[in-house]
Amino acid sequence: MTEVGLVFFPAFDWAISHDHPERQERLLYTRDQIQEEGLFDHPSIREYRPRLATDEEILRTHVVLPSLHHTVAESHRIAAGGTIVASDLVIDGLVKHAFALLRPPGHHANRIVHGSRGFCVLNNEAIMVDHLRHRLGADLKVAIVDTDAHHADGTQDIFYNDPGVLHISLHQDGRTLYPGTGFTSERGGPGAYGQTVNIPLPPGTGDEGMLMVMERVVLPILKEWKPDYVINAAGQDNHFSDPITNMSFSAQGYAKLTELLSPDLVVLEGGYSIESALPYINVGLLLALAGLDYSKVQEPVQRLDREKQTKSLTEQVVRVCDEVIDFWQHRSEVKLEEVFGAGSLFQRQRQIYYDTDNIYESQQEYIRLCSDCAGWRVIYTSSTKARDLVGVVLLPWKPCQACSVEAREQQGELLADQRFSQVICVDPAANLHQV
Amino acid sequence: MSEFYKIGIDVGGTNTDAALLCDSEVVALVKVPTNHNDLLSSTMQALHKVLDHYEGKDPLQLHLSTTLSTNAIVEGRGAPANVVAVPGPGVNLKSLEFPFPILELGGYMDHRGREVSPLDLHQIAGLRKALGEDEARALAIVGKFSQRNPSHEQRLKAELSKWHRGFISMGHRLSGRSNFPRRIVTTYLNASIAQHQLDFLGVWKDVDRAPLGEILILKADGGTMNLEDSAERPIESILSGPAASIMGVKALSLCQEKNYVIVDIGGTTTDLAAVVGGEALFERDGATISGYKTLVPAFLVRSIGLGGDSALTYEEGQGITIGPRRSGTPVCLGGEQLTPTDAAVALGLACLGSQEKARQGWQRWGATLGVDGSSLARRVLQAFTRQLRQAVDAFYEELENMPLYTIQELLHPPELRPTAVVGLGAPAPIFIPALGEDLDLPWEVLSFSAGANAIGAAAARATVGVTLRADTERGSVTIPEMGYQREIHRPLFFSIEKARQLAEEKTREYANFRGYDATGEVYIVEEESFQMVRGFRTVGQTHMVRTQLRPEVHRVRGRTK
Ligand SMILES: [Zn+2]
Ligand SMILES: [Zn+2]
Repeated sequence: MTEVGLVFFPAFDWAISHDHPERQERLLYTRDQIQEEGLFDHPSIREYRPRLATDEEILRTHVVLPSLHHTVAESHRIAAGGTIVASDLVIDGLVKHAFALLRPPGHHANRIVHGSRGFCVLNNEAIMVDHLRHRLGADLKVAIVDTDAHHADGTQDIFYNDPGVLHISLHQDGRTLYPGTGFTSERGGPGAYGQTVNIPLPPGTGDEGMLMVMERVVLPILKEWKPDYVINAAGQDNHFSDPITNMSFSAQGYAKLTELLSPDLVVLEGGYSIESALPYINVGLLLALAGLDYSKVQEPVQRLDREKQTKSLTEQVVRVCDEVIDFWQHRSEVKLEEVFGAGSLFQRQRQIYYDTDNIYESQQEYIRLCSDCAGWRVIYTSSTKARDLVGVVLLPWKPCQACSVEAREQQGELLADQRFSQVICVDPAANLHQV
Repeated sequence: MSEFYKIGIDVGGTNTDAALLCDSEVVALVKVPTNHNDLLSSTMQALHKVLDHYEGKDPLQLHLSTTLSTNAIVEGRGAPANVVAVPGPGVNLKSLEFPFPILELGGYMDHRGREVSPLDLHQIAGLRKALGEDEARALAIVGKFSQRNPSHEQRLKAELSKWHRGFISMGHRLSGRSNFPRRIVTTYLNASIAQHQLDFLGVWKDVDRAPLGEILILKADGGTMNLEDSAERPIESILSGPAASIMGVKALSLCQEKNYVIVDIGGTTTDLAAVVGGEALFERDGATISGYKTLVPAFLVRSIGLGGDSALTYEEGQGITIGPRRSGTPVCLGGEQLTPTDAAVALGLACLGSQEKARQGWQRWGATLGVDGSSLARRVLQAFTRQLRQAVDAFYEELENMPLYTIQELLHPPELRPTAVVGLGAPAPIFIPALGEDLDLPWEVLSFSAGANAIGAAAARATVGVTLRADTERGSVTIPEMGYQREIHRPLFFSIEKARQLAEEKTREYANFRGYDATGEVYIVEEESFQMVRGFRTVGQTHMVRTQLRPEVHRVRGRTK
């Protein structure tokens, strides 16, 4: 069995716009470096070609408005399809680890998609998780560790109430960076409370802090939760040279993190220091994933001393670690009715901004509080792009009998309601996406 | 008009073939057994035999496809060579476990060819001692990203030449492609077989060359190089045998299809190659020889252990399997073990040795299995076709999984599948028609299928190519193969068109410099062009243009004069 399967797709002919960070050039130097280091034909690494994700594979995870063909481009389908190819390689035992080194990224894409948010349209990791469950069954436990500098708000949104998924996001504190969320108090919905784990880190956190979080929080949580698969959403914008964030991580740190985590699957997320960081992070990551010596990987421009983590910053990181792990250890003692109310429904309203496409979305969400399953959800959504109100009924991967019946009733009620221009019902375990 | 004579010689594993061409006609085709202990004597024997058919007076050109370099590498007979590398940070060279020692020097060149840290001059001074007493031992100098900026390699050579007396090979001169481990291997092997090549050339200086004129060496990419070049870049002469066969197909085939599969069936192995859009496909990075991955440009050829003399095994439930082992002499020629060739002979599909012996052989084996001898022979031929077909399918599956990096290519991948089969090699007339039928494709067995390799060698022409890389932000343009590095004076105006133009010009200059006819078409093998944006502002462009002087073949008519 090959150590690492590499699904590399730099999309050399695609950009969001000419001078956008998501442009043709983004993975050029990474390609050059991997090629020059001889890693494309290293005996431990094998390269694979991505494919386009099918409608079915996308709609298992997403509700795309106004329609799939209107909103999703070929580039998004290839990125999503590449992660599916990567998961198949691991499931089929062809490789031990697979790395989907491709663009565009996905972790800011929510369940409901009106357009592009934070450069993302389709959530690659989420499509990957649902593909794993589609092939291996709804009982599968999958953990996502998102190490991008930005909070993985899209992934959080998708798995917020999903007991089959543990979502851990390490990121620069939302008070100082897009998308402004990802606080420790965001812990998941009533069906999966405590399985959304946010670790906001102070700007300037470097190798020491990131590795401390791994050792004190991430690894112990994973050890306890025992996932069947671990996915690393490997954003590389926490590098000290990244132009759009303020973190201080290095290629060596990233390789060490990869070695510690030893994820089954890795998916590239952000990372826009395309010359000074990405080539070296990706070489280090590949070597670490393949169990090879990465000790000599080093960026051409070294981190300045003042960019190294200060003592007070380390203390802040320690406090975050303590808070997160403390809650994790006591999560089962939380009385859910104190958090979500004692009634049969929990409801919330949200405004979601799509920065890349300049769209505003309004959501009204209802979650059925059920003691036998994660409960059905109903979401009313409308946006400045598709003004008509759309009703969405979502079933969990493992619905109880009562929730299955009730969800159908909900669907019937929405269909009868003149306010909705469209009603969509998603039952992922039955592979059903009904419009 | 005077007639133009040429000789092609291909030294193969079993036989050495020689062809004498006059313009586009085959005058003679001869064959002598290859003497592995003395390749030169086989070559001379074939040469003299074919020269018997030459009645002209003018000097004639000799194209040689030898297995000399290939064998030296495969048999581990290359001379020890020292490798001095400038790896910079990255993959730890020691972890790659090269089967030869490498002296590492300090210095760091980045992916755009910018010097991050200079060569460690202190270490250079110490090299003389580190390299040992032998000042004449061949030397390979290789830097990471030297194809983007060869100055470290050049400086090192200048320093070392002050005392070193032997052959020095620099990585950037051998290839403009990216792949540092392959560059190390290529340069090392080049240095290691340099002396063999010089000895070989020495012999040709001494022999009575009349009526020979120019002598050219066949390369793995199907082109030829002159003797001076072969002394500098002997590594390019590896794997010329399969290249000779492909050139034979290009010279002889009447196939009109754009895509076809070339099936070269030999005694022990069958080689597959793919022609797409009229051109034989090349290896993505370079040739692999005896486990060594190199940057030597080479046709993409996959070898399978299936041939006319392959061993047969019968297993209950499994049926008959052919190869990959080679059997001894076929039964029809007095051997012990039945082979696919014996099946063809027994069924009257081929004339070789004694048909009676072959028939008896099948009857004896058939009796032990309780089947009729001729039906067993037929089954062997069917098994051969089936295995060949599986190999062809696997070969195309591999090709179809080659990585693609653009959305356009992924949405519209190039059509690779063949619409015809072209076969050569002595057993081709037996097996190719059945393979064509099985694949449901038209087929062709080359005329002179048993000597097409020698004809291909004779029909080949020189190939020369360069890799131009321009970086307008840095304001530099590099052509590593030529050791060329210049400043761009007006970077803003250095467009991709300009890069193409310069690449073509330089390709011709390089061909002329090396003594080749540079009048042919220069075509672009590969091209890339990117805008470099920093902080929402375009700061430059990077262009890469890889060219080739089209490796034309002389078309040869499929009949003897
Ligand atoms: Zn990010
Ligand atoms: Zn329920």
